[in-house]
Amino acid sequence: MQKKLNERTHDLKVHQTLGLVTVAPMCAAVIVAGGAKSKRNRADPTGPEIGPSSSGVDLHVALGSATVALYGATAYYAIIAPKIPGVKPKGAIRWHRDLVWIHAPGMVLTPILGAMALNQENNGERVHGIASAHSYVAWTTVATYGASIVAVTWPIHLKFWEK
Amino acid sequence: MKLAVAVLLAALPAALQAQSGWVLTQSTLTWHVVHPMHEVAGTSHAAKGKGNCNGGQCDFLIAVPVKSFDSGDSNRDLHTIETVRGAQFPLVVVRVHLAEAALSGATIDADLEVEFAGQTAHYNHVQLKRASHGDEVEITGTVPATCSDFKIDRPSFLTVPIHNEIPVTVDTTWRAQ
Repeated sequence: MQKKLNERTHDLKVHQTLGLVTVAPMCAAVIVAGGAKSKRNRADPTGPEIGPSSSGVDLHVALGSATVALYGATAYYAIIAPKIPGVKPKGAIRWHRDLVWIHAPGMVLTPILGAMALNQENNGERVHGIASAHSYVAWTTVATYGASIVAVTWPIHLKFWEK
Repeated sequence: MKLAVAVLLAALPAALQAQSGWVLTQSTLTWHVVHPMHEVAGTSHAAKGKGNCNGGQCDFLIAVPVKSFDSGDSNRDLHTIETVRGAQFPLVVVRVHLAEAALSGATIDADLEVEFAGQTAHYNHVQLKRASHGDEVEITGTVPATCSDFKIDRPSFLTVPIHNEIPVTVDTTWRAQ
């Protein structure tokens, strides 16, 4: 039993570390997202949209891919962590687990919708259909992922330097 | 021989009178953990205990299962059991030896022996408060436990470990048997 608990703690520590590391490319992907979108020409607002630079798209795709890969590794360690029979999830951990039902599908959908949007842009089309939901799905994923981290960190002593 | 039996019989009531026992009827034990970003407490009401007084000296024994402490978060509680080697050493055992006369004061100066996480620590001159409620006696106090006393590797969050001090507040109610 002690061995099982030790394994569980080890796996969940790796899960925690990878989860926090994932925040970096996730935030960076959101920050550079503007560079991967077609924009309206300010000098000619009625004219055709200007496509994104390939470097802007590449950077966004690279950061998004890194996010998905790290997220997958994070999830892997949570899934393989040994379960302790007879223990019902209680407290903040329940929020942490329940939010998975939102950010996990979001993490799958976001790159798919992004690829669809990029494909439409490359074909000279305006992003339309379900692909236009890429940014909304991404923001929802980021927000629930952040909430998931806060859930297991709460309550936080904001003035921790006073202790 | 007859004389010896007579002496023994005469001494028996006095010996019986000198023996008394106590049983733990209610308990609230709470550990407190402080991290620069968190303050957490875990409580157990599952302690069992008894005390025996004989010849003016009393011995008390209290045992509480490690897994009975509840911090309000099942994940944290499992981490706690793992950290304190609770599967290997499932009980916290506290032994107190004191003079029977000390039990009648408002404060009790007690020397505690605590077995926890496979280690034994001694806490001398722990000040406990005593209050009578009818036929029951309530004993409260704080055991100034630390992680290092029990060779517990301090868990960390964001690479910052919890404070070494893990004081345990004790509120116990005893009934004379």
